[in-house]
Amino acid sequence: MMSGIWAIVMLDMQRFFKERVRLIAGLIQPLLYLFVLGSGLGASMRMGPPGGIPGSAPAFDYRAYIFPGVMSLALLFSATFAGITIVFDRQIGFFKAVLVAPVPRAAIGIGKVVSGALQALIQGTILLCFLPLMNIQISFATVLVIPAMILAALTFSALGVAMAARFTSTNVFPILTNAIMLPMFFLSGAMYPLQPAPVWMQRLAHLDPVAYAVDLMRGALLGRDHMFFESPGLSVAVLSGCIVLLTWSAVNVFRKGEELDLTGPTKFTWRK
Amino acid sequence: MSSSPNVPAVEVAGLVKNYGKVEALRGIDLSIAPGEMFALLGPNGAGKTTLFSILSTLRTPTSGTAKVLGRDVVVERDATRHDIGIVFQEPAIERSLTVRDNLKLMGRLYGLDAAAVRKRTEELLVQLQLSEAADRPAQNLSGGQRRRVELARALVTDPRVLFLDEATLGLDVEARRGFWKQVRGLTVSGRSIVFATHYMEEAEVADRIALIAEGKIVALDTPRNLKAQMGGGVIRLQTTDDAQAREWLVQRGYQPAPGVQPIMLEHKDPASIVPILLRELPVKVERVEVNAPSLEDVFLKLTGKALSDETAATPPAGKKGGWS
Repeated sequence: MMSGIWAIVMLDMQRFFKERVRLIAGLIQPLLYLFVLGSGLGASMRMGPPGGIPGSAPAFDYRAYIFPGVMSLALLFSATFAGITIVFDRQIGFFKAVLVAPVPRAAIGIGKVVSGALQALIQGTILLCFLPLMNIQISFATVLVIPAMILAALTFSALGVAMAARFTSTNVFPILTNAIMLPMFFLSGAMYPLQPAPVWMQRLAHLDPVAYAVDLMRGALLGRDHMFFESPGLSVAVLSGCIVLLTWSAVNVFRKGEELDLTGPTKFTWRK
Repeated sequence: MSSSPNVPAVEVAGLVKNYGKVEALRGIDLSIAPGEMFALLGPNGAGKTTLFSILSTLRTPTSGTAKVLGRDVVVERDATRHDIGIVFQEPAIERSLTVRDNLKLMGRLYGLDAAAVRKRTEELLVQLQLSEAADRPAQNLSGGQRRRVELARALVTDPRVLFLDEATLGLDVEARRGFWKQVRGLTVSGRSIVFATHYMEEAEVADRIALIAEGKIVALDTPRNLKAQMGGGVIRLQTTDDAQAREWLVQRGYQPAPGVQPIMLEHKDPASIVPILLRELPVKVERVEVNAPSLEDVFLKLTGKALSDETAATPPAGKKGGWS
């Protein structure tokens, strides 16, 4: 089991470091949000404390507020897209070569999730280097952002793997993931506080794993007062549950081998 | 390496596979001995790849059983995966990684420890003459080299049974010859090789051949016996009126293969019969060919269809227009 996971992670990391362009390009978007959107919006917006209760939270600036949100954006996109290697490998025969090896299917799923998370965390770590430029008080609690990042990266990677396991077309995969990820990102409260948002948005946010991830990171960086969800324990539990369920659903697809493949051309086939 | 030499390498009984309404395999029975080189010869879409997919645990049969080294491939998937190696029709190596890294990856996937992975990789690089290309990314290799890497990948665990599914697809004649030379050296120590092809020349190297068409085995024997079915030789006739010629032949007691164009006739002594045909046929003969029987002829006779589109579509030199 462990050697199987290791083999898959090694493979993906070897490939990742051969495509450094992706690493650099993946950082552009979060940095844009942080420094252009964050500075622009922040200058024209005077934000009150969350929940609208004056004096209950310390003053903070917008850029610092969205930093955890931007972090989740970076993790979300790079982790989810890491799953696309599965689709590429399916288009040629490479994934079959993996499937005929006596490696446990669970090891393939876990390996894929871990390697996607690692790739996202490399980007996240680079982004974290900009933390001192933010108007954020660094304390011992700040360190908690690291486990929060790991949890978030694993969740988003598992999401990408669970989706990629079902695709045979590299054309459709990015379109569909984008269609799913953008609403998840917008609803997560990454760019604005959820506390004053309409009730329907708050309800939807409860169904959005990205919201829990943002909330944990925000709590670690800005303090409990800025957290939206009831308790950090709940958020950790929700994210862990997502990781397990999504990984399991991908493993189930891998168990079926080629079996879900329809005859004829495999392009644009949606695997169930 | 534990099973006794009497257990068949591959044993398939009543194997059926349907994809929805499409019947890919319609009851396959065969038994392949340890150390045997066995060919599945048939046109594209005959069901060869489906059979390999089942034998290599990637698909499950609709009904029937398939065993590799006495173990059911559906029930004992992991054991089967350990025992087999397979080269697919499609490329199955990672293009951006070097040859060496590709082989190491496979070694790890097969659960070898780090030392064993290194040792096996170097062995295979030497055995398949890939040492010189070892540190080049797979995408920079020639077609022939790439197929050798595929072969090396399939051999990582020293499998008792090796499957090759149209393994020479896209290779030129030279590279194909080199590939088969390599493969013939692999039947050592009781390893069985089962390969699918639609080139009859490739099937000739096998100990036994199964001719497969539309999901069924239509004949199974040694290349020599298969061709012996055809008698001494094969005569092909093209006339001004094939329908009339055919009718006349049947009336005279000859047996032209039904539905085969041009008219194909097997006979134990073609050299003596051709002059008679030319003299007596009521229609004008435009072209006569006499050949020793080939596997292609056997296939044509049994199925009325050509093995590959290329052979069917290639008219003999000098002929204007198509056969039909």
